[in-house]
Amino acid sequence: MAETEDSKIKIPYFPGCTLKTTAKNFESSAVKSAEKLGVEMVELPKWNCCGTVSSLASDDLMKHLAPVRDFIRVEEMNEEGVVDNEYRMLTLCSMCFNTLKQTNARVKASPEDLESVNNFMYLEKDYQGKVEVTHLFELLDEMGFDALQDKVTHSLKGLKVAPYYGCLLLRPKSVGIDNAENPSIIERFITAIGGNPVENWEARSRCCGSYHTVENKAIVVKLAKGIIENARSAGAECIITSCPLCAFNLDSRQEEIIREDSEYRPMPVFYFTQLLGLALGLDKKDLRFEDNFIDPEPLLVQKGLNI
Amino acid sequence: MYPDYMKTSLGKVAGTREQRLRLAREKGKEVFTALSESQRENVLSTYHPDYKDDARREVRIGPNKGELLTDRVVDILESRPRDPADTFDLSKVDYEADILILGGGSAGLSAAIEGAEKGLNVLIATKLRLGDANSMMAQGGIQAADQKDDNPVLHYLDVIGGGHFDNKPELVEALVNDAPSSIRWLENLGVMFDKNPDGSMSVKAGGGTCRNRMHSAKDYTGAAICKTLRDEVYNRPDNIRYIEFSPATELILDDKGQAAGAVLYHLETKEYSIVKAKTVIIATGGFGRLHIRNFETTNHYGATADGLVLGYRAGARLLYMDSVQYHPTGAVFPEQVVGFLCTEKIRGLGAQPVNKDGELFVYPLEPRDVEAASIIQECERGNGVKTPSGLTGVWLDTPLIEMINGEGTIEASLPAMLRQFSRFDIDIRKQPILIYPTLHYQNGGLEINEKAETTIPGLYVAGEASGGVHGRNRLMGNSQLDIIVFGRRAGQNAAERVLGGVTTGKLSLDHVRRYSEELDSLGIVTERISPVILPDYIPDHVKAKQITLEYFGTLS
Amino acid sequence: MSEERKMVTVYILGEQFSVPESSTIMTALEYSGFQLKRGVGCREGFCGACATVYREKGEYKLKGGLACQTVVSDGMTIARIPFVPAEKPAFDIEELKPDVSTFVELYPSVFRCVSCNTCTKICPQDINVMDYIQDIIKGDIASAAHTSFDCIRCGLCALRCPAEIVQFNVGMLAQRLYGKYLAPRSEELDKRINEIENGEYRKDIDRLKSLGKDELVEEYYGRDISIT
Repeated sequence: MAETEDSKIKIPYFPGCTLKTTAKNFESSAVKSAEKLGVEMVELPKWNCCGTVSSLASDDLMKHLAPVRDFIRVEEMNEEGVVDNEYRMLTLCSMCFNTLKQTNARVKASPEDLESVNNFMYLEKDYQGKVEVTHLFELLDEMGFDALQDKVTHSLKGLKVAPYYGCLLLRPKSVGIDNAENPSIIERFITAIGGNPVENWEARSRCCGSYHTVENKAIVVKLAKGIIENARSAGAECIITSCPLCAFNLDSRQEEIIREDSEYRPMPVFYFTQLLGLALGLDKKDLRFEDNFIDPEPLLVQKGLNI
Repeated sequence: MYPDYMKTSLGKVAGTREQRLRLAREKGKEVFTALSESQRENVLSTYHPDYKDDARREVRIGPNKGELLTDRVVDILESRPRDPADTFDLSKVDYEADILILGGGSAGLSAAIEGAEKGLNVLIATKLRLGDANSMMAQGGIQAADQKDDNPVLHYLDVIGGGHFDNKPELVEALVNDAPSSIRWLENLGVMFDKNPDGSMSVKAGGGTCRNRMHSAKDYTGAAICKTLRDEVYNRPDNIRYIEFSPATELILDDKGQAAGAVLYHLETKEYSIVKAKTVIIATGGFGRLHIRNFETTNHYGATADGLVLGYRAGARLLYMDSVQYHPTGAVFPEQVVGFLCTEKIRGLGAQPVNKDGELFVYPLEPRDVEAASIIQECERGNGVKTPSGLTGVWLDTPLIEMINGEGTIEASLPAMLRQFSRFDIDIRKQPILIYPTLHYQNGGLEINEKAETTIPGLYVAGEASGGVHGRNRLMGNSQLDIIVFGRRAGQNAAERVLGGVTTGKLSLDHVRRYSEELDSLGIVTERISPVILPDYIPDHVKAKQITLEYFGTLS
Repeated sequence: MSEERKMVTVYILGEQFSVPESSTIMTALEYSGFQLKRGVGCREGFCGACATVYREKGEYKLKGGLACQTVVSDGMTIARIPFVPAEKPAFDIEELKPDVSTFVELYPSVFRCVSCNTCTKICPQDINVMDYIQDIIKGDIASAAHTSFDCIRCGLCALRCPAEIVQFNVGMLAQRLYGKYLAPRSEELDKRINEIENGEYRKDIDRLKSLGKDELVEEYYGRDISIT
């Protein structure tokens, strides 16, 4: 393996809870792909849930504690020399990204709120406000999709990939990684790794149903089917996502769609990092396709992309 | 924080530490010569509290009539029942059970689980909460001969030698044979034993053991076991019910002389309940809160030997109730922790008892009675350190543990001890602790056979309340073993008896009536009442104003 | 002792008492005339029966501690918490898996944790309570078991938690799952259990059982001691 000439980036990495439990395929493919691209994702030495569920707390202050505690970890990583002047916090999960970025924006905009949060967490050092929350798509964009293309060894040979943004990568505008009405970042990513992005399909940023999947999965089943059929009619062979909850709703809930509709044809749903890893020539075991609900192997075999 | 005047002595201890560390590191040689049999006898008979002239007196009533038993124990045996026998209408039964277990420590909990396994209806009655027992407080370990260089035969020798060869052989056999499978049983329930990186059990030595066989869960061994057993009991509501704050005040027999239940007294609502049961297991623990010879104790609040009284009145014999175990290393500073247990594991890890001049004066791992007597001897020679509250103690040099086993050992293996003393600004990693013997364990009890049976049909005893397993002196780690082995045996055998068919006759408290009558005929006049139930710590100046005080305990 | 003891004022459930300065909250209660039945157990810091919340004079912070271990201070106001209500689901440990799915089923409230660390701050055992709850959320049962190990179930964490998690039950389950399923297996134990079942030591123990005291004394003092 030839040594990369690019300088190595060591970046604080915030995994989020699902990446350690039900979305191990997301993390495994991401970490190994990043390695290939010269990026060392350094997991926060101690981290807590980003608090995305904390809207259940009735106190407005409480829900910001969790994200800020993680920002303090990043500042500590810098103070202790674990990373060198690197205050970007890398996230993979769209929900973690959105939650963390919104809180960061709130406390940076309001010194009083920041002081309240810091005072409450008196056992921690104060958060100085230095962290920038970033998503892997943004990091790849910053490093340059052309540069990425140069590193691709196993191009996706024009595989028709539908970029599913979901809600939280784009909305609200203040935290979105791209223009909410007309985003293109994931399409450019797909092109860079040799795929053929499905353009402008209507459901690309339609909500998957999110937590309705717990209490009222019929809603999710209906929404998921709509999104998948919309992608299919636009020419998609598969869908990529950046959110474990979207992945669950679009991938695992196909079980119910299959049960309800005997004519339904399953569609593979990947984490974007799995296709990234495939294109970079990663070992199959790091891509963990066996964790995906709809088996993507038949599609990959058919396209000559299996490894 | 140690007061300034102790600085000199602390300095001396630190001064001899290097030399004592070298002694500890010498392979194949003990840091101090262990005592021979006759030397043991000598130090015991001169200094051990049990051997004082006024330590025992003759009990005048009951199955052990005429024997010399520990003075305070005779007090409670020669006391009046709390209520006359005919107070209770035994035809009005409040609870029925296949197995009634008195006591919610690890012995009672083990018995309950075994009874539930057989599908029976078990009722546990406890004085305080389920799990409030000495079991929860045990620290250092549980013995089992599972290591390659060890075996149950060596374990047998250790037990019987430590017990002054008075142990009942079949009980020792049961103890050592059941030991490894007891560990496995506990582990299957989820107890987290300390292990080495390769998965083998991490075992240490204890007083009087010839091999490392002390299994532990840091220094929370008793708690790890008791919490797990209790959690499992909570998991079986269909088979196991429990009533808390309801100590038993009398055993109920039937007209055939079988154990048939108990009278319970609710501490808060003051209600009495009648329990009818096909079998009864006494697992009421020890007697530390009787403060024998006015010693402070390691025991929990409810340890008042209630079960002993109940069984004795019903006609069960006692064994070795002339023997009291004083744990050699009870805390003696600061004032707030006087009497607290400082686990033997501390010595198992290499700490040495040293006098005020920093000198080693005893082999650190003698059996407990010998160790305790040696410490008392050293203090009476004037080599102890006085505390501000007027007590005396010797040092236990804990910093040695870090030096012998590596930095971080105390934090990993003795977190309870580290915590206990750091609450009072003493860091045991850097400074030694001050210790003196404290009242700890009831070596004897109601006599049982290897099935945990007494001579009363249907009455079983398990745990500290029983007598014969440990002879006249128990080794560290064998009580945690005893409660599991005999707790399970009591549960299994009680279950077997129930499944074999038990017909309970007419319920009766005649044995209580007869006991009272005999007290009268012997001319024993006393206001003392037993079972004691709880100790009484209300100061005199308050008592003087509690003119219509409701009667509780029998401590004078 | 007849010397004058220095006394301090404490407020027990709002009522003023004068107690010796060196008292713990527990002995202060007894000194004031209360015979304890609730809120007392081992008296040595192992059983969690004596959970107490208190404030010190002039301080706004609400503190938690064990009555048997906490020394009083002048002006301290004290409330005893002898019981914390909490449901514990009954389970068959043989049927549980040692991973996050067990907690999703039995203790779903765990996932409400807002990472506020209030539980850690009130714990009288200085346990990083929030950390082990977060460990569960991350699926790291082993770490949760070790971090929660010293818990004595006093209940203060559960009482203070804004997300109404019952931390002490969650920790207990993690410990049992670790002890049963995740701890490495000790093979020497299995071997010895088999040997005993096959009667390998029966003869030798029978022989010891038959010996008289003098012979036992000789064997005992003659046995070789090999400890480390």
